[in-house]
Amino acid sequence: MAQGLNRRQIGVTDAMIDSYGELIFGMSHNMQSRRGDPVRELDFDAIEASRDERGMSDGEIAEQIGLSEIQVMYIRTMMERRRFHTNHFQRLLDLGGGRRFREERFMPHEERFQYHDDALALRDAMRFDPERARHYSDQGWWNNDTLASLLARHAAERGTAPAIIQGETVISYADLWDRVDRLAGGLHGLGLGRGDVIAVQLPNVAEYVISYLAIARLGGVMTTLYMPHREREFETLLSHSRARALICLTDAGGFAAAQAALNLSLPKLQKVIAIGDAVAGTVSFADLANGTASADKLDLPLPVAADPMLLLYTSGTTASPKAVPHNSHTMLGNGRLGVGAHQLGPDDVIISAPPFGHLFGLYALHMSMHNGAANLLLPSFTPPDLAATIHAGRATALLAAPAHIAACLGMGLFDKHDCSALKIAILSGSAVPEEMARAASAKLPNCEITQLWGMTETQGGLYCRPGDGIEISATSAGRPAPGAEARIGEDGELQVRGSMLFPGYFDNPDANAAAFTDDGWFRSGDLAAQDGNGNFAITGRIKDIINRGGVKYNPREIEDLLDSHPAIAQSAIVPLPDEVLGERACCFAVATDPEIDLDILCDYLLSHGIAKTKLPEHLVLLDEMPLTPTRKIIKGRLPLPKIS
Amino acid sequence: MAGATKYDAEEAKQAILDYCLRKGALAAGVADLGTLERIAPPGHRPSDIMPKVKSVISLGVGGQTQGAWAVPAKAMGYFGSTETRAYTISYGAAFFIEGKYQTPAIYCPPDMDNEKGPRVPLQSLKLHAEVAGIGARSLAGDILLHPEFGYMYFASVFTELELPPDQPMAQNPCPAPSCTSMYRQTGRTPCQKFCPVQCLSGTIDEAGKQAEMHYDMAACAEMSQQYEAVPDLLEKAMAAEDAQGREEALFDPDNKMLWYKMSVGSGGLLAQCFECMRVCPIATKSPLADPIRRSKAKAAGMGA
Repeated sequence: MAQGLNRRQIGVTDAMIDSYGELIFGMSHNMQSRRGDPVRELDFDAIEASRDERGMSDGEIAEQIGLSEIQVMYIRTMMERRRFHTNHFQRLLDLGGGRRFREERFMPHEERFQYHDDALALRDAMRFDPERARHYSDQGWWNNDTLASLLARHAAERGTAPAIIQGETVISYADLWDRVDRLAGGLHGLGLGRGDVIAVQLPNVAEYVISYLAIARLGGVMTTLYMPHREREFETLLSHSRARALICLTDAGGFAAAQAALNLSLPKLQKVIAIGDAVAGTVSFADLANGTASADKLDLPLPVAADPMLLLYTSGTTASPKAVPHNSHTMLGNGRLGVGAHQLGPDDVIISAPPFGHLFGLYALHMSMHNGAANLLLPSFTPPDLAATIHAGRATALLAAPAHIAACLGMGLFDKHDCSALKIAILSGSAVPEEMARAASAKLPNCEITQLWGMTETQGGLYCRPGDGIEISATSAGRPAPGAEARIGEDGELQVRGSMLFPGYFDNPDANAAAFTDDGWFRSGDLAAQDGNGNFAITGRIKDIINRGGVKYNPREIEDLLDSHPAIAQSAIVPLPDEVLGERACCFAVATDPEIDLDILCDYLLSHGIAKTKLPEHLVLLDEMPLTPTRKIIKGRLPLPKIS
Repeated sequence: MAGATKYDAEEAKQAILDYCLRKGALAAGVADLGTLERIAPPGHRPSDIMPKVKSVISLGVGGQTQGAWAVPAKAMGYFGSTETRAYTISYGAAFFIEGKYQTPAIYCPPDMDNEKGPRVPLQSLKLHAEVAGIGARSLAGDILLHPEFGYMYFASVFTELELPPDQPMAQNPCPAPSCTSMYRQTGRTPCQKFCPVQCLSGTIDEAGKQAEMHYDMAACAEMSQQYEAVPDLLEKAMAAEDAQGREEALFDPDNKMLWYKMSVGSGGLLAQCFECMRVCPIATKSPLADPIRRSKAKAAGMGA
């Protein structure tokens, strides 16, 4: 409308706007020039001569180019509208209230960083119950600690303190911060940024820690691949996580990891960063780590605690993956609270026997990032290496799976090495046999043997505290971690919730539907019992329950008994489908005596008071069990025999 | 005029200008009507509004406080109701003239010309002030500056009372010596350098006078006057594919702030930017540019 008239009434067409628009815009007051100071000087000749330069009125333009004044007004206004596409007004918002002259660094909004769709999808998966989130924040369990902020603080306050000890190499916190900062800058230079998932497959070496912290500094999300993972797992996990980069070894114990990743040609995987000999098509980790474009120099924004920082896989590494996202709230809050509960201080030296690819291994890092303790690295586990490293590094805190301890005990390594500096051992990853816990306690009298129950979904959920004593620590996983709650459901299942709990599986609605109760508690899948002091003992897996003709029982106690038999190194009992009874118990075992048979084992069990209805009815001997990184038996991978 | 009180033109002028100064104007003057009629384009001359106009009185009020110019928070530079103050004084002056001299007077509205469309004012208050000698055009898009009062807001009164006119300023304070020095070294004055959208350019001659001034008003207006941002975001809302898109278009923080500014009428965000004036030594450091300087000058007996 112009003066109340529409285009049809004033005779303006699109063709007219297209033809004359630029001309009218340029002649109008939108572009103004002045030569000299003619008005102030009352130089009327100059005023008249330069009238068109000062911007002409619509009437003057109309007269000059042969349109009506109202047509010029309409076309001018439309052109002003069409020109309004630079979003200059957004600069005013950028300027408002800020420091003076910030516009010198102004970057057009359309050129600024944007999270890509995959990153936004992952961020959208960080969906917590609002009431719980408020509660955790009110309690101080969630704060704005990030790995980057914690590391920066230690670098500033205790820069010379050791952060990483690997063999003879000691990396101080200040040095670690510098290395992390440079690697983050290097990753940024590859086009990686906030929200990007970066996979890591490395042993527990300094590069792992630096990579993890650099990814965190960048605001990225680390996903882990276990060292035994090969092409099949790579394809599944890198695809599902939408990983944009992979940091791995050129040669992972005979497996050409970097080349294997390249060969997969995954569309989302943009960069393979290799440690070791150069591989065509990959980026050298050393080049990135030694770059000069640090995150600090690049002024990269710091992440915040709500940003996702980890995407871990808990099962289904080849099909239907269950991806667990975590942010700094869940991870670092649990780590910070754990530091106090485990009574760890800045002078402690923490060693993790499990790989950092497993969350239990990362728990050691998360705690040390809070208290500034040193991380003593064990690149890969062997019992002698673990004992020797504890000895050489004067480790004061040990995170280990029961199998790690059992192996050391079995080889008498705690007698051969001085492990007297150990003041706490936190055992987790699988059920802790009571006798083994007592044996470890006897061998390590200065060391509190404690149990921790946790999952990838929870990090540290329950644990014993120093001072609980071996009677509690050998028989239970202790009490809920600060910020955590636990209960036992009607079916005996352990259920938890709390500030450490993941928000739900990424991109797996079926798994999420099964994982949580209606009131928001996480179903652990573990069976538990609680004593009068509030300590929880894990008694088995709910899926392991054997239903033999309606008689349901948990095979855990039978397995423990079998493991104590001198001819058995390791055992596992699983249900075997049966047409008559529904299920029968099938025992898998790694035997130290090849002459062992089912009858001998059943006699042994009967002699220990096991009911006949619970005796295994089939025996399968294996050379080795399929194990998780924390050396827990993967029962789902046991090869069930075909019984006619 | 029938029934009009006889008056002495000089005395009347002085009385009217005194009224304006007493009510808070920093400067006031009378523009020569003939000059205005000659320079202003048809439709925008004083006589187009008031056919029997004999005099145009222009007044200026102080802009920002010294604190507002200096604090890091830029927004302070453009928050205020200064222009409203100018309009109030000129409105009062029109009443004063009619009451004392029984001669018609009007407050000249600082409004758009309904017949000429957006961005076209009824009158150029800037032209009135320049011709009345209370401001001179600067390199900053012709914003008027005063050698003593720096940056001011202007308002005008038209009257059928014939008053002796003032002359434009003999000298233009812009560019200041420091600006000329910077121009000589860098090719740009402070206002040109710090304009966020680089809408200012021009040259200074060897004598240190303005040679050319170029002003991309469209770019300036697009940033500083967000009138087109409003229909723009409405258009985005209408074109949004879903409810979430519509909600974001209308209620994201930037846009919600726009509604807020409009609804409360603070004017703080709409129609100002002021970076050019924040770095202008005349606007901010002229002897009487702010209340502190004026107060000190008054104490020193310089008047103000």
